[in-house]
Amino acid sequence: MMADECQPGDSVLTEDMPCEHCGIFTLGGNIPIQGAWRDIAYTPVRDNIWSVSEGIYRSIFLKGHKGVVAFDTLTTPGTARAYAASVGRVFPRNPIHTIVYSHDHLDHTGYAEDMAPEAHIIAHELCDKVVRRRQSDGQLAATETFVDERKAFNIDGVDFELIYPGPTHGDGNIAAYFPQSKLLFMVDTVIPGVGYTFFPDWHLAPYVPVMKRLLSLDWDLFVPGHFWITDRQGFIDNLAYYDRMADIAQQAIFDDLDPNNFAEVQKYTEMNLRSEFGELFRFQEYCAMNLSRYMQHYLTGGWGIEGNWQPDTTPL
Amino acid sequence: MEELNTGIFTHDGARQYLEREPDLYVDQLSTKIWTICDGVRRTLFIEADNSVIAFDTLATPGAARAYRKAIAAAIPGKTVQTIIYTHDHLDHAGFAADLAPEANIIADEMCAKVVGLRKAKGQLPPTQCLSGKRNRLTIDGFELTLLNPGPIHGTGNLSAYFEYEKILFSSDTLLPNARYGLLPDYHIWNLVRFIREFQQLDWTTFVPGRYEVTDRARFDKGCDFFIAVKASAQQAFAEFVPIWELDAMEAYVGSRLREQFGDLEGFDENIGLIALRIVHHYLMGGWGLEDTWNPGVLLADSLGPVNTNPIGPVVPEKAPIKARGERFGDSK
Repeated sequence: MMADECQPGDSVLTEDMPCEHCGIFTLGGNIPIQGAWRDIAYTPVRDNIWSVSEGIYRSIFLKGHKGVVAFDTLTTPGTARAYAASVGRVFPRNPIHTIVYSHDHLDHTGYAEDMAPEAHIIAHELCDKVVRRRQSDGQLAATETFVDERKAFNIDGVDFELIYPGPTHGDGNIAAYFPQSKLLFMVDTVIPGVGYTFFPDWHLAPYVPVMKRLLSLDWDLFVPGHFWITDRQGFIDNLAYYDRMADIAQQAIFDDLDPNNFAEVQKYTEMNLRSEFGELFRFQEYCAMNLSRYMQHYLTGGWGIEGNWQPDTTPL
Repeated sequence: MEELNTGIFTHDGARQYLEREPDLYVDQLSTKIWTICDGVRRTLFIEADNSVIAFDTLATPGAARAYRKAIAAAIPGKTVQTIIYTHDHLDHAGFAADLAPEANIIADEMCAKVVGLRKAKGQLPPTQCLSGKRNRLTIDGFELTLLNPGPIHGTGNLSAYFEYEKILFSSDTLLPNARYGLLPDYHIWNLVRFIREFQQLDWTTFVPGRYEVTDRARFDKGCDFFIAVKASAQQAFAEFVPIWELDAMEAYVGSRLREQFGDLEGFDENIGLIALRIVHHYLMGGWGLEDTWNPGVLLADSLGPVNTNPIGPVVPEKAPIKARGERFGDSK
């Protein structure tokens, strides 16, 4: 079967392997990595908030009176099951009754069907619109959406607030705010180190001003969607990297660097950025891609409506 | 000092870069159609009865002025009175204020929404917006068809089909080579399935939005290449290749596709980046509503209607622009 002949929602059974949800992969046949088990580390963070990670991806879950509110589903069907098993190990009498989607991307929210298929699912409306159109195999649509900028929840004794500050990354990407614990959780925005690869689905124009709105809230611990937990200063420093990259990318264009000549972008990065950013996590891997992406932003003018959105920059 | 149109640049050092007028290369494709290239980006202009129809503006104010001069040299005595935006990006359609500030500007309605939102300095808002998949227009006596098969690259991307000349022009969509790099603002899910609708049309010359003019065979190979990368990038994920590592993706996908596609210009330089970008499409699920099976544009409705006023008086009344939306091809 040619890749493009597959339809969304296809899930291919074979005789000797159990079916795995295939997301939007169109390869046909089973995809072993989708079902591969990953060991999950689980750590208490503050109060009733726990964090889970398989080393790269990170999320949180919270214990309620009768069950658990879990954010996201991790990366694959296999990791979604491992996530659920971890929750079950920590709270064996508390099933996952609620899942909150941070945003629409499958590597974070693609496999609720494997984690807790009967769970109540909460998402921002913009996220759910994409989820419903995507029809990805394993990603369940939300059962509750909200359209406002902020909404407070009390679910099974768990209190939190969901905040959509504006376009940042993906669609309908929300922060979860726990005022009593002074903790903020947000996925695929602030991540330790340089930016991930080419800033996939980042809305660069509104990104920093929108993210800075979250600084108007009272928190001192930030849980990102990847790698390690950081604090308020780590959050601020990370956003400063984006501001600097915006400035450097413009200078690189004026220096006649071609963003499509990646070998030259790598040389430029090494010569001009190592002294400033060389100590940052994954500089060697991704800083040149970050630069190329930012250059494309200034040359093309931002991507789509979200990438050109004039953000509300008032405090939350 | 003359005020400079700076696009979205905020850096003080932009002037020299933006004002520089590059060398442009002009080729005549038919009696009335020329193509022009700055060495990277390529576009078209057309001699109509009493005026010139220019596609896009090139990438900077300086390039737009050089474009205007090149048109004047190729078609003396006629000026640009119509600009057609192929899509919203500034490196193609950002500087109408420098090319022909009084021209009528035609664009797809979604392109117009992004242009209106962006407010880039030098990018003028369209004066006439098109909707639908196919619009057959007569502009100042010249007939052409503008096609928007669905989200492929940028927002509201229009391709131009010249039926009598058997020419297809499609900007920053399919390339007849492997020079995509990071595939900026490409809608991976839909690119090939929509662009393939163009194969149903009768044309022999393909003019891409950058690099060289080519033919149908290279266009077809470009489609095949894109599909092959999609399959191979997925296979890399399935086989536990660390897909976030450029070298690993380059080695895996490059080795599988080199025999069939290694002759494509840019293959060795770009295959790793292309594969890395595409595998993240599958990992993440695509970007936005444009990148879904049943595509749309998120937040478009919240922006309100775009300007759909009839086109102004610059185009002679005897040959008004007529727009007629209709479907083409079999896509959804």
